Amino acid sequence: MLELILKALAYSSGIALGAAGITIIYMATGTFNFAHASLVAWGFYIVFSLYSILGGSPYYYIPLAALFSGFLGVLIYVTVNRRLLKARATMVTLMMSTLGIDLILFAFINIYADYLTEHYKLSAARYFVLELKDYVLGYVGETPIKAICIVAPIVMLAVTLSIHAFLKKSKFGIAMRAAIENPSLASVLGINPEVVYLTAWFMGGALAGLAGGTLSLVISGHPAVGMETIVTFFSGAIVGGLYSVFGSLLGGLLIGLSEYIGIYSLSMAFGGGVLVYRPMIPLLIMAITLLIYPRGLAGINWGRIKAFLTSIASRGGR
Amino acid sequence: MEIPPLVLNILINFAIGLIITLSLNLEVGYAGLPQFGRVLAVLVGAIAAGAIPGRILAAMMGKPAGAEYAYHLINYRLVEEINKVLATNPLLSAAIFVLTLVFAALLGGLIGYVTAYPAIRLREAYLGITLLAFGDALQIIAWNYQPIVGATQGVLVPDPFRCIGAGHVRFVSATFIILGIAILIFIFIEKLGRSPFGRALKAMRDSEVAAKVYGKNIPRLRAQALIVGSALAAVGGALWAFYTGSMKAITYNRLVWTFWPWAYMMLGGTGNNVGVLIGVLVFSTVRTLIYSYKGLLTTIIPVNPAWLEYILVGLAIVLIVMFRPQGILPEKPALTLPREKIEKIRESIKV
Repeated sequence: MLELILKALAYSSGIALGAAGITIIYMATGTFNFAHASLVAWGFYIVFSLYSILGGSPYYYIPLAALFSGFLGVLIYVTVNRRLLKARATMVTLMMSTLGIDLILFAFINIYADYLTEHYKLSAARYFVLELKDYVLGYVGETPIKAICIVAPIVMLAVTLSIHAFLKKSKFGIAMRAAIENPSLASVLGINPEVVYLTAWFMGGALAGLAGGTLSLVISGHPAVGMETIVTFFSGAIVGGLYSVFGSLLGGLLIGLSEYIGIYSLSMAFGGGVLVYRPMIPLLIMAITLLIYPRGLAGINWGRIKAFLTSIASRGGR
Repeated sequence: MEIPPLVLNILINFAIGLIITLSLNLEVGYAGLPQFGRVLAVLVGAIAAGAIPGRILAAMMGKPAGAEYAYHLINYRLVEEINKVLATNPLLSAAIFVLTLVFAALLGGLIGYVTAYPAIRLREAYLGITLLAFGDALQIIAWNYQPIVGATQGVLVPDPFRCIGAGHVRFVSATFIILGIAILIFIFIEKLGRSPFGRALKAMRDSEVAAKVYGKNIPRLRAQALIVGSALAAVGGALWAFYTGSMKAITYNRLVWTFWPWAYMMLGGTGNNVGVLIGVLVFSTVRTLIYSYKGLLTTIIPVNPAWLEYILVGLAIVLIVMFRPQGILPEKPALTLPREKIEKIRESIKV
């Protein structure tokens, strides 16, 4: 049970990071980024290939994975997204453009995997399990404590806090929020929205790479891993509301934890046969959330709930 | 008549692609719904073809037709027996073929009606992602729940074309029958697009408020578009299952049955059925050629041609979105009556 909780924690931290990336790009540019799938998968492959070729520890290469996917994000913005944003393309058009990019990036991941297989004789390049290469920090009873189960949540918390500090305290972060809220007004005050969009794409891409890098030590990797997990990232971002980084981190945690813990408790109740339906949990949570709150959890009027609660509290006080 | 397999492959991919893409065009091009879950209805159609005709025939023959029908060891032998019966009985073959398509359309329409519930409440990206999630969810169920269509082992689909002939003749006749159905669906969608219903959909897409002012019931129109589109897509899925003779849920993924039709539609021209036809023809030809000349291509380029296909489709989507969002043939306003008829009416008014 402890092992399950630890793994669920590592997994959901990865999902939360990726969901935050989707949210940042969506907040800044209104683009629902399908290419996130391949950006995450590139994170997996950067860690795997560099670790297999150069050796050392997989952890060295996770920051590199983030940088590489961040660079890909910038590339997407500069080549495609900037032009579409200027032309005021609709949300669906923006979505479709990232889908096209995703297919191209997916092809390149496969080509890279083939290259690794042929050139470096990495027979595992099309299916690898880095989890086995992880360090065991110690034992609690019989249960080994894997390093990633500690590292992933810490990275997730550190990233959350630094993004929060960046957006709330730094001058550029404040300018960024201003440009997201009202691009034309912000540009009157001398803020260049394009720089903001570029930064958002870099941050979003880097978070995807970071998610891929950490998840590579939790789940098995293959070229289509991004395509398989993308809906989970979407669910995290949507449940979190798509309008705040904190929300998406919480949403990602909720989705990831419920995937592991939920299926575990279901299998206790209905037997092991239900285990194969695990990928449905994020889908169902997302669909239910959206059907109750059509704009995600951010669509709930928290102010009114707060006012309602305080009115109850004050009535109770009297 | 000897038709090269390459041409046959292009034709069948074109016919199936046309049906799916036209149904997508009705929902996206005409009604403006972000249908990112096309695979849902296609899969429903394929499940219908995998689950229904075999069970009916098995029950008629007094063989197991319940959950055990989908168990692969029973299924393989049973469908072989069914096919032997079908091979000698053209009338039964035709009846079971038509009946299955009707069932597929009904179930597709039903699933369209179900998806109308989120479609009325949600907007744009939220709706698109929800529909995508529905499609994925059904695939997961069909891939894991054995009693309907055999889960990971899949099921064989009874072959209604077997009575026409075996081997090459079977594939030629199946291809042309499916092509004929695709052309019928093309004519149907074209007529539907020009009908008051099609014009109301376009009005809703362009301005919901204006359509409302003219008394159009928006939720109802959205639901109707989804029902008709899903029913047609389900027919496409059932035809593909009949053609291939087997039904495995894993092959009905969102890449092939949602995103590729989107690419076809965008290349041809969203909202223009003739454009969609051209888009499907171009893409299915290129894709089949790449697939068929894989060996030759490998000697020229250093990478696996399968990935070339992805790059090509992806690049096409990106370039169309950036430089020609209206597609090859842009949408034109629907002409409702031919000119001569209008002139005749004018004449009659003059008199």
